[in-house]
Amino acid sequence: MAELDLQFTAETVARVGRRPEAVIPILQHLQDHYGYLPREALEKVCELTDIRPSAVTGVSTFYDMFRHSPVGKHRVRVCRGTACHVSGAERIEDALRRHLQIPAGTDTDAERQFTVEPVACLGCCTLAPVVQIDGTTLGHSTPEKAPDMVREFLATAGHGKVSRSTEEVLPTAPEKAVTIHVGLGSCCMAKGSDQLFHALQESAANGGAHVHVKRVGCVGMCHRTPMIEVVSGEGNGRYFADLKPEQAHALVQAHVRPRGLWRRALHGWERTLDGLLGDEPPAREQVNRLEMDRRDPGVKAFLGRQVHIATASYGRMDPLDLNEYLLYGGFMALRQVVGAGKPEEIIATIERSGLRGRGGAGFPTGQKWRVARGQPGAEKYVICNGDEGDPGAFMDRMILESFPFRVIEGLAIAAVAVGAHEGIFYIRHEYPLAVKRVRAAIAMLEQRGWLGEKLAGTDYPLKLSVMEGAGAFICGEETALIESLEGRRGMPRLRPPFPAECGLWGKPTLINNVETLAMVPWIVRNGAEKFAAIGTEKSKGTKVFALAGHVQRGGLIEIPMGTTIREIVEEIGGGAPAGRRFKAVQIGGPSGGCVPARLADTPVDFESLRAVGAIMGSGGLVVLDDSTCMVDMARYFLQFTQAQSCGKCTFCRIGTKRMLDILDRFCTGKAQRQDLHELERLAHQVGAGSLCGLGKTAPNPVLTTLRYFHDEYEAHLQGRCPAGRCTALIKYSINPQCTGCTLCAQTCPVQAIPLTPYQRHSINLDLCTRCDGCRKVCPHGAVDVA
Amino acid sequence: MSSFTITIDGRPVEVNPGQTVLQAARELGLDIPTLCYLEKCGPLNSCLVCLVRINGRMVPSCGTRAEPGMVVESESETVHAARRTALELLFSDHVGDCLSPCNLLCPLLMNIPVMIRQIETGQLKAAAATVRQALPLAAVLGRLCHHPCEKGCRRGAHDDPAAIREMERFVADEDLQSETPYRLPCKPPTGRRVAVVGAGPAGLSAAYFLVRDGHAVEVFDRHEHPGGTLHGCVARGELPREALEGEVARLRDLGIRFHGSSELGRDITLDRLAGQFAAVVLTVGSTAINEAEGLGVRLVEAGIKADPNTCRTELPNVFAAGAAVKPIKQIVRAMSEGRMVAECVSQFLAGRDVRRSDKPFSSLMGRLDPGELKTFLQTSSLGPRVSPCAACAAGLSRRDAAGEASRCLHCDCRSSGNCVLQHYGQVYGADAGRFRSKRRGYEQQLQPGGVVFEPGKCILCGICVKLTEQAREPLGLTFIGRGFDVRIGTPLDRSIDEGLQKVAEEVVHHCPTGALCFAKDGAEHLPHGTECGR
Repeated sequence: MAELDLQFTAETVARVGRRPEAVIPILQHLQDHYGYLPREALEKVCELTDIRPSAVTGVSTFYDMFRHSPVGKHRVRVCRGTACHVSGAERIEDALRRHLQIPAGTDTDAERQFTVEPVACLGCCTLAPVVQIDGTTLGHSTPEKAPDMVREFLATAGHGKVSRSTEEVLPTAPEKAVTIHVGLGSCCMAKGSDQLFHALQESAANGGAHVHVKRVGCVGMCHRTPMIEVVSGEGNGRYFADLKPEQAHALVQAHVRPRGLWRRALHGWERTLDGLLGDEPPAREQVNRLEMDRRDPGVKAFLGRQVHIATASYGRMDPLDLNEYLLYGGFMALRQVVGAGKPEEIIATIERSGLRGRGGAGFPTGQKWRVARGQPGAEKYVICNGDEGDPGAFMDRMILESFPFRVIEGLAIAAVAVGAHEGIFYIRHEYPLAVKRVRAAIAMLEQRGWLGEKLAGTDYPLKLSVMEGAGAFICGEETALIESLEGRRGMPRLRPPFPAECGLWGKPTLINNVETLAMVPWIVRNGAEKFAAIGTEKSKGTKVFALAGHVQRGGLIEIPMGTTIREIVEEIGGGAPAGRRFKAVQIGGPSGGCVPARLADTPVDFESLRAVGAIMGSGGLVVLDDSTCMVDMARYFLQFTQAQSCGKCTFCRIGTKRMLDILDRFCTGKAQRQDLHELERLAHQVGAGSLCGLGKTAPNPVLTTLRYFHDEYEAHLQGRCPAGRCTALIKYSINPQCTGCTLCAQTCPVQAIPLTPYQRHSINLDLCTRCDGCRKVCPHGAVDVA
Repeated sequence: MSSFTITIDGRPVEVNPGQTVLQAARELGLDIPTLCYLEKCGPLNSCLVCLVRINGRMVPSCGTRAEPGMVVESESETVHAARRTALELLFSDHVGDCLSPCNLLCPLLMNIPVMIRQIETGQLKAAAATVRQALPLAAVLGRLCHHPCEKGCRRGAHDDPAAIREMERFVADEDLQSETPYRLPCKPPTGRRVAVVGAGPAGLSAAYFLVRDGHAVEVFDRHEHPGGTLHGCVARGELPREALEGEVARLRDLGIRFHGSSELGRDITLDRLAGQFAAVVLTVGSTAINEAEGLGVRLVEAGIKADPNTCRTELPNVFAAGAAVKPIKQIVRAMSEGRMVAECVSQFLAGRDVRRSDKPFSSLMGRLDPGELKTFLQTSSLGPRVSPCAACAAGLSRRDAAGEASRCLHCDCRSSGNCVLQHYGQVYGADAGRFRSKRRGYEQQLQPGGVVFEPGKCILCGICVKLTEQAREPLGLTFIGRGFDVRIGTPLDRSIDEGLQKVAEEVVHHCPTGALCFAKDGAEHLPHGTECGR
């Protein structure tokens, strides 16, 4: 093997620093550069810095992003988020591994071309199931499409064609121009919005200056992306949905008004000619067909109940256009409080608003601020917790990507309120766009002199920085997050003492979730009472949810607290897909629970959800239809928490594993009745005994499914999976409807169906992997699952 | 702030500011179990065996500061159940046996691997102590025992089990022939007199354990010489007369008085014995129902009616055991019953609740796979089983005994008897097999410096990590991996020895289990159930 280039290691150390807490950033740079962490490089780090070998090994083996052996040239990440799981992510991973010929027990093929690895959640839940190949995210994948996905990738991005950046600073729209808004959140991009954006820009540049193509944040209607809004000078917007880059030219043409009489005449003539001669209908007509009617009942239902506070002016603002943010009232709230010198008043306002933490537990925000404010000492910290790790949740990613200035403003207000002069964004590295935009926004503000020595032009110093997580769900727990910031393994501390008393570097530290902070400027600007008027008695304001799973209209929604589950699923989401029955919602992710459809009238507020055994959580709301096995669902979440447990305390480290062992027995038909009792008993003990929130709430998905879907556990005891999901318990067979068309035999990836044209086919169950491909492809409904 | 009061299980205790609930509980004399707590390291909050309940919430007492007016629940059924579960979870991922299968299968619970290590290293006096600690008539058992121990011997999976009984006989014979035989220590005299009726295996065993508990023991038997059914063995040529007589002489040396030709119902009566002695033990051997009237106790079909948990008959100070109660074929089982009744009598005489003791607690690793067996074989002689020549009456020679001893796999734990996890497993009646699941593979890393690391026994308490950090070891130990797969190891793929350059002694000493040991550990006998050494 070639001599390792250790020069990079030395440069990184020189750039990042030598202090013990630099360990994670240094390792991140090494990982990015070498593709893994070579031992020589790690030894070099120990040699050059104050970082101890035990920290290097301890940290580098704790976080998911670090690898200790070389990876393939391309990394294929298969999302294992909730929505992806219920849409068959495992089958896709199997198909990819088969196609790429990756031997069992490893993750890289023999030629070191591809490394296939599962990833906890990519946060593109509405595109489930999602696969990411290097930087390219691919939504709605299927096992059958796996080979094509790889081929297409190799044909384009894989051959050095770097996708163009959408992140440079763009000019503000000239007045009176027609503006085309393109949503550029990372999940819109996964569906091709970035390509559409570039195509539109090109068409606009060629066609004249009257069309301005503008980058905006998340539009929320993920089920219709790529989507644009065309705003004419007067401000009336027209939506166009489900677009392709090829349609960009037509879209621009339809809205272009070339300058100059002669050009305009020519343009009109060209159009007429197009209409007369071309096979294609004229541009305008094409475009009209793409328009989405705002009065469309689906659109109305999706938007009707929403109230936008954290996501105010969604789909309108360029995330990185500071002037525009100011135009929409940005930094008014901060300026209002920072000069006033009355931090007590800010806290009182937040208290009066009734705002509670949006990260999961719902602790009153104002109270947290008051405790932090009340601590002695001048050195305090504020932290924005952007380590959103719940599978099935992507609200925080979307807010950070779409409204970085708003979150910064919220954090700055919090800093002023508690008296902190240093603030940190802790954002998971799986959200590169969020990291990039927050960094860019901070840099912009520093450049304007609004951050740093003089916050918003006053004498209040505030320094903000961004720390990237390294792939550990547990770091969303605030004490683990602090450990991670201090350069250690993210293992939670016992509370009390709470971070507000003794946090980062032993100093009082206020930690708030992204969404919570995004609400703060609105509350300060509009008044506590206006916020408190929304929602229920104990749960005020709105909550942002990521609505995904088995639902017709998935997306990002912000609704008043107290909206019922039924209103969300059936009205906003349009219910289960055609032919399916709405069975349950999984709310609160791995800490939450499965609420059955019969309790769908439960209002979404902190107390009501807790009463039914779920929790608000960070806001993942995955709809499950009757194709979902609830025992498998419980097992899925246990798998997640068990894999994400830090391993510190006995109950979580071993207890969740033993619960998973039992659930594995259920899903493979090996469970006995005593397992049912043991599962419940252990679930209660793990909940009671674990040290931190992860372990304390990990049993919730099990306890709720035991409570509401006991019959399914009973069926598994008898060796049946009613939803036909647990592969060890189901068998595929071909019924007499078969016409011998051979489609199934051609589709079968493992040759379990012999090719017998014009004859009824049969399935060799010993070879069959239960990938479901034959059933999906059969045009005659001849494949049975039992 | 001055000191204040908190309440633990309804009892007030005065605490100083900054003290933890654990410290307060210890001041009250409560034995809250801790595995990961070492004052020097501060609370690590990892084992969670020290749970208490405060305001309805379970919290680790080692890391929870006492606050004025705090109400703590510690020794309740709910809290104990939670602690027991924590222990059981740890055992479910604990790869190793506390006690070897041979030891657990021995009805008299002799610590066989310790004896074997002593034979191997030539410490025959110590070996005699190990043997005699457990076996009442060692030279007899060394010849006649049906050796269930050998059936469980893991060496048997490779070739043949270790010749345990022969080694035992070798130790006993050497001891009997020695000019200074090993003399068992007895507890100070209690001043209580106990009569044992029947000098067969069960009776002699009972007398042996009773006299060691400090009681004055007199044995009555209808025959002239003690031995009961063992005389039949002598007659059949299975047992040399000298061996029996030599062992009986040892019993006399311990102070046991024998009264031959004294038959119950003819020469002596139960009434009188019960009146003269603080307790009477009936070990009269198998008794037909028609012999009842002579005995003075009630008989049922199997034998004398006695409570199986306490060995007590219907008479207040009369106990019964052995074949007199239920049919017993094997000598060693009869002796084990004798040991049990002695224990019950001692409890009775001390005024405590009478209850025969539970089986000793042990973590169970189960069957070894071939790879694991190989790991164990690494440190053993690969030679075949040595048997004394069948024709000659002599047992193993010294050389053969040492050779045979070197075949032992030492599959017991070096820390048994000195392990906090084992100790509390026993105290809390933990069920080491509550969670059935596939266990990890057994691993052992033998280090040149003499540290033995068995990762499967590690409970990830974090004490070693903290101690090496505090001592500023150049490498130290660290957690590796995450979640269920976390292991302890030396950073950068170095060996454990390299991680422990400064504080190996201290780290090994504070390891709460047998995960870190010195190779030399475990050669001394720490009788089971003694105060935990750490």
